[in-house]
Amino acid sequence: MTAISSKLSTGKNDLSLLFKKLWAPFSLTPMLSWLCGALIAVLLEQTVGLYVAWTLGLPKIPVLFGVLIMLETPILFPSAVLYVLIIYILPVALIAWLTTSLANNLAGRLLDLQSWLAVLVHLALFYAVLHLWAEINDYRVLVVRLTLISIILTLSLNVVNGYMGEFSCSHPGFMALGAYGASVFTLALFTDDRTFGAPLLPAQLGVLMFPLSLIFGGVLAALGALIIAIPSFRTRGDYLAIISLAFMFIVKSLIENLDFVGGPRGLGGQPDWANLPTVFAWTAICIWITNNFVRSTLGKALNAVRDDETAADAMTVNTRQTKMVAFLFAAFWAGVAGGLFAHVLRYVNPGSFGLQKLAEILAMLYFGGLNSVVGSIVGAVSFNLVSEALRPLEIMKWIIIPVIFILVMIFRPTGLIAFTEFNVVNWIRPKNRIAE
Amino acid sequence: MKKVTISFIVMLLLTVGLAACGAAAPSGATDTIKIGINAPLTGDIPKVGEGTKYAAEMWLEDIKAAGGLDVGGKKYNVELVIEDNEAKAESATAVTTKLISQDEVLVMVGPQSSKQAVPAGEVANNLKTLMVSPWSTNPNTTLGRPYVFRTPFLDPFQGPVLVNFATKEFGATKAAVLYDVASDYPKGLAEFFKSAWEKLHGEGSVVAFESFTTNDTDFSAQLTKIKDSGAEVLFAPQYYNEVALIVQQARELGYEGPILGSDSWGSAELMNLCGDACKGLFFSTHYAAAGATGATKAFIDRYNEKYGYVPDDVGALTWDTMLLVQKAIQDCGKITGDIAVDRQCVRDAMANIKDFEGITGSMTFTEEGDPIKCAVIVKISDAGEFEFYKQVCPE
Repeated sequence: MTAISSKLSTGKNDLSLLFKKLWAPFSLTPMLSWLCGALIAVLLEQTVGLYVAWTLGLPKIPVLFGVLIMLETPILFPSAVLYVLIIYILPVALIAWLTTSLANNLAGRLLDLQSWLAVLVHLALFYAVLHLWAEINDYRVLVVRLTLISIILTLSLNVVNGYMGEFSCSHPGFMALGAYGASVFTLALFTDDRTFGAPLLPAQLGVLMFPLSLIFGGVLAALGALIIAIPSFRTRGDYLAIISLAFMFIVKSLIENLDFVGGPRGLGGQPDWANLPTVFAWTAICIWITNNFVRSTLGKALNAVRDDETAADAMTVNTRQTKMVAFLFAAFWAGVAGGLFAHVLRYVNPGSFGLQKLAEILAMLYFGGLNSVVGSIVGAVSFNLVSEALRPLEIMKWIIIPVIFILVMIFRPTGLIAFTEFNVVNWIRPKNRIAE
Repeated sequence: MKKVTISFIVMLLLTVGLAACGAAAPSGATDTIKIGINAPLTGDIPKVGEGTKYAAEMWLEDIKAAGGLDVGGKKYNVELVIEDNEAKAESATAVTTKLISQDEVLVMVGPQSSKQAVPAGEVANNLKTLMVSPWSTNPNTTLGRPYVFRTPFLDPFQGPVLVNFATKEFGATKAAVLYDVASDYPKGLAEFFKSAWEKLHGEGSVVAFESFTTNDTDFSAQLTKIKDSGAEVLFAPQYYNEVALIVQQARELGYEGPILGSDSWGSAELMNLCGDACKGLFFSTHYAAAGATGATKAFIDRYNEKYGYVPDDVGALTWDTMLLVQKAIQDCGKITGDIAVDRQCVRDAMANIKDFEGITGSMTFTEEGDPIKCAVIVKISDAGEFEFYKQVCPE
């Protein structure tokens, strides 16, 4: 018995040693190098990806890192692994290793120049990678857009459920308000459609005004939040959860009974304005604003309210106002996410904003981690990708995903990456410098 | 350490070796025709997804038995790409995009319910691929989309059919309607029924127009109102689980008049839930399972034998859709291998199909991609079977 366990533990040590050894050359590699490597990898995929895939016997470029192919035709498993190795892992590792010192130098200079400039350069590079990667296939574009929208949603719920420590269930309701608000705004003002007739304003203006329509949706959601916040913030905990759940059903029933937006038949024909750059820009803005919000005095006050409301009150925190602002803030972003969602699908239906949606958002939030911006991003991205990748398993998918969740809840009860601060500058700093 | 390194290298070599084997296997993609199936295998309505999948697989068996699909004198292998849309709108869109752009299917069958079919139709139409929904009745699914077709008849047709039937059969002049306001199909049909009834019998002849919300199980308030309104016929365009409750509660409250249903009644589950209360009632549907003859009977028997239950309308409509798609591909006459050209060719062939004899009736398509076909009125017999009673065709 001891022999076996000692053998097991040495095996584990061997493995971690191997990882350490593999990681050693990259210990000083900054984010800039990784992004350059990824850029080269996606460029490689664009130019020779198809030929590599054909040579390996794959019918097409594996769309989600080969996972779909592995599950659909297991015989191609090795080919898919090799493809990922040749196109992604090897070039990224090679470029990252080669450019380490150069990139450290460059990143250091950029950071010394202006930190916002450095962040923007990294963001632009990241978008280039994402765009080139997604461009190969419409399916990738759609998955990326839906994932980005999920990030906004999860992040906004994190403000309430994580930073504020309440349990709110009304997010699908806010999302529905935002989706319908933004849709009605664009359909009535800028498009010639069946529901609202001729546009009131010239259609060319529409694309420019699209941010306005999203903000309109967000504000509508925030107004909805105000309506439930006034009576319900006298209660806490379970009571708020129930009131917010009721709000979600009220919004759903309201839309079902409003005939001018199509009732249960839904509302369609939104113009295709929520393309990849638009959704990406809104997601980046949302992450930036939310991150600043939770790191501000107000955000810290929010944490204080979560930990002990009476103590916070005694320390001169205006608890009611703090909670109200955070709740409306979260609802606004959920509304924006709803508006984007409506313009990606180009059809909305009250049935989409029910319990199933709520379960999804909550799952992404608690999987990723409470009280953490990075956690929300990780949760949303991993849930969406896993859910897409396991689609070929049909009903088995709904056994595997819950099992993963249960395991996460057992080993990391607050989620994968909880209670951490997201410091962008620290992420992109040259690795030959010490963290701030 | 050494062991791990060695095993790592062995694994790598094995991968390369296997990949080389795999590389040799798939080839000659031009001999294969791919058909995508976009079905709700998980989610709210898994039974619908199952019916779709079974019918499609049965069709594939036939094609395989014939040695492939004969197009212009050449036999092609057919591959079904069945994907799960979880009964969600965004998943249906993602699946549609995947089937069309990644799997490169020639034609897509599904999604079934309108909630998924409307947004999926938008994608299929933009990507210029033929999509045929076997079950969606929302007008927006096909409206203004030349690449989207459907096989069921539409609610604006079914409503008047039922109105005329109730008027002639029961001699009724006053009707009541009980429907789910939160669900797209019952609500639409209830409204078409009301307008058709009032057109025939004058304003106010629908004496009670009562609604409830999905998942309600107690209808006594609405049914009491309906009973007191003096309605001579009650129309309930609901799904089978609600129908059982409505019929039983109506009888308990003392409503004696006939209760009329729509095609959503036609599920094998209905009689298990409803029992004796539903016997003798009528509903309109796409086909009658009991007493069917010819191809319809053959289909039902085969399905029943293979899967253990009588197929409901989703199965029958999917079967017809598969045959329609097959005919469209064969009418196209040539598979060039250029997917864009072939998709266009199949779409044009589909639009030109005239008087297609399916098991749910004869179909010709309008310019919008909606079929012109007959409805069947079914009577639930004392044995609990859905018996053919009458056929009603559009004038």
